[in-house]
Order: sequence, then C-alpha cells, then structure tokens
Amino acid sequence: MPEKTDRVQDQLIAFLPNLRRFAIALCRSRDMADDLVQRACERALANEQRFEQRTRFDAWMFKILRNLWIDDIRRRKVAGPQDDIDERHDIAGISGEREMEARLALNSVAQAIGELAGDQRDVLLLVCVEELSYKEAAEVLAVPIGTVMSRLARARKNLAEATGISMAPTRSAVTKGASK
Amino acid sequence: MNEETFSDEILMRFADGELDPDTVARIEQAMEIDDRLVTRIAMFIETRAQAQAALKPLLDEPVPEKLVAAVEQMIEAKRAGEKTEASVLPFGGGRIAGPPSRSQWMLPIAASLAAAVVGGLAGYWAAGTNERTPGGLWVAGVIRPALAQALATVESGKEIRLAGISDRFRAIATFRNDAQDLCREFEVDSQDRSTVVSVACRSGDEWRVSFAVVAPGDAGGYAPASSTEALDAYLSAIEAGAPMSAEEEGQALDEVRRKDRK
Repeated sequence: MPEKTDRVQDQLIAFLPNLRRFAIALCRSRDMADDLVQRACERALANEQRFEQRTRFDAWMFKILRNLWIDDIRRRKVAGPQDDIDERHDIAGISGEREMEARLALNSVAQAIGELAGDQRDVLLLVCVEELSYKEAAEVLAVPIGTVMSRLARARKNLAEATGISMAPTRSAVTKGASK
Repeated sequence: MNEETFSDEILMRFADGELDPDTVARIEQAMEIDDRLVTRIAMFIETRAQAQAALKPLLDEPVPEKLVAAVEQMIEAKRAGEKTEASVLPFGGGRIAGPPSRSQWMLPIAASLAAAVVGGLAGYWAAGTNERTPGGLWVAGVIRPALAQALATVESGKEIRLAGISDRFRAIATFRNDAQDLCREFEVDSQDRSTVVSVACRSGDEWRVSFAVVAPGDAGGYAPASSTEALDAYLSAIEAGAPMSAEEEGQALDEVRRKDRK
C-alpha cells in the first residue's frame, strides 16, 4: 500500500498556507492555528492510505483539521475549570486572540466573518474563501447539501448586513431566512 | 405575465455557479426586467468576493519556519520507512466481535507516539480493588452498567463520577463511524491511575469499546497530546463523522435510552 500513497506527502507542504489560513480563521489565534495545522498534517500522514484520489486533497485536509478543532473545543470546555490560570491562558489563546484582532482591526470584513456563528462561518470559509463546491463542503462538514446552502445563504446575508455590502431589503430575506 | 419569484438559495446558487442551466436561463431572463433581483444576486457575488479579499492577506503570510520544519520532518520520517513505525493495537485485539474492517485496523504511527502507553487494557481496570474484579468497567470490549449508563446520559462537555466507582467520566464527543454506528469519545480517570482516552460504539443494543489508550497521567484531568494523536489517527481510520451538535447528540442519546429501557 505505501507505494501509491505518495500524494499526500507531496502535496502537504505546498498546501500549508491554505491550511493555516483556514485554521487561523477557525480558532482566531496563530499559535493555536499552527499547532492545529501540525496535528492535522500528522493525522493526514498517518492515514495517507485512506485518502481517495477522487476526493479533493484540500477538502480532505480541511475536514481533518476542522474535526480536530471541534474535538479540541469539546476537550477544552471540559478541562477548563480544572486548569490553573496560567494553563488556561495558554489553552484559550487569550494573547493569540488579541493579536488576531489587532492585525485584523483594519479589515472589517474579516472581523465580521469572525463574528459569524461557527456553522455559518465554516461554510462561508469553505465555499467562498477556499472555493469548495457545495457538495465538497457538505462532505467536509458532514451535513446534507441543503444545510450547506441554507447556512451559506444566511452567512452571506449576515456578512452583508454587518459590513454594509448593499443588499435589497426583500421580503424573502425575512421569510426564507427564518424558515430554515 | 406572472413574475417568477426566486428564493435566496436559488439566487445564491446562481451566483456561485451551482445551478442547472434551465434555471440559470430563467433567472437571466428575469434579471433583464427586475432590478431588485439583480441587487439580490449582486449581494451574493459581492459577499463572496469580499470574503475572499478579506482573508487573502492570511494566505500571503509566510508560514512560520518552525511549522514548515515540523511538517517536513514528519514527511521525512514517514518516507524514511517502516522501521520506526509502531503500531497501536485495538482494544482487546481479536476478541471484539464485529466487522473485520474495524477490528483489524493498524496505524502507522510515528515515533512521536511512543509516549502513549498502550496495552494491557483488559487488565487495566481489573487490577484495582476487589469490587472491580472481575473485569472492571469493561471486558473484551463489553461495557459495565455504570459506564453504559454514563455513555447514554452524559452530554459531551460534561463530567460525572461513575456510579459506585469514584472514577471521573468525561464525555468528549458523539459522532457516527463509517458504518453509521453511534460512537462516543470519552475519557475516564481514576484517582490512583492515569487517564484512559476511549471510543465506544453502539453494536446492536450495547456499547462496545473499540479504542482505548492509557495516557500516563498525573491525574491532572485530561490526556496528554500524545494519546490524543493516537485517538485522532483512530478516528480518522474509522472515518468518524464530525462531532454532533448538542441537539443531534440529545436525539441520538434519547434513542439509545429508549432502546435500553426495552
């Protein structure tokens, strides 16, 4: 099996900037993002033989990284109260968060993306920023494609509202948006 | 003429090029006479472009050398061959009945994993006090009532003390594996010993432990990174779905409890 598994190894380094961008947008801290990226790479390498050539490499990597991140959040939520303050500082990436906010202060769209609900943010990142198809995004997020579409539409309306990107005040904006 | 109304989702699909040609043609036609429609579509095109532009600087940022070096090293280690590889054994080895795809998994794990102590799991719980024998919380993958109850009731993110035993149980996540079985990732730590990071999946009407790593711990509350790496590799191997939302998890656990009551 190892003979045909070169692909992940070969693509990983070139893909680091994208993977890291996705990670930073998810956890809003560079330190945590770098750690996350490293672990995602490790996991990808360990499971190289599971990578199917017909799936997009980037979608596969995003999925690994996002699942790690979700797991981290859960773990941290549990571990949090037991930590002392120093640890919590590291884990929650308080300094990292400030750094991110400072660097992005001039970029109100990036800020608005960061303030979206996690579900909406993730699908926006995958489709609009990383240019995955709806189907690929559905696969990464493990949700039906209909869910991808409804979340994505809501994400973009919220983003437009938050940043003042022009949009028509339509009735459907209210009724459709609220119905799902 | 009846003016056709298009939902936001349809217009978004139009803007994203994810729509069938017929509907595209109808929308294009409608756009000629409906300015508001154009504005609504423009919003979707604009948000996409803006989101992309906003996060472009992150892409241009140089990846820290440390990170590149670490990944390069991992790739090197992987290429260097199988000599340094260790294998994490599934809990209970061949004793777990079930699809061979799940009981046969072997992970090529880099040397970094050596810190995760694996093995002797069947005896792990048994080695404790008398009431834990024979077999403690689980035997050959089959779970004891106290743990089964915790698995069916404790929501992810919560911690409890197991009934009758003072071990702490933390539910981490709930997801489905490649066979669509309901699985839970959890950690158990006892006062005198280290943390066990584990995954149990529903098999028929019972929970079965399919993965467990003993994390050499200081009882500090959660497992060190090396053991979660083994877990990550395992989750990937069973093609674990994304962790469920609290709502989805609630429904899934409700169902488990309903079945358990029968």
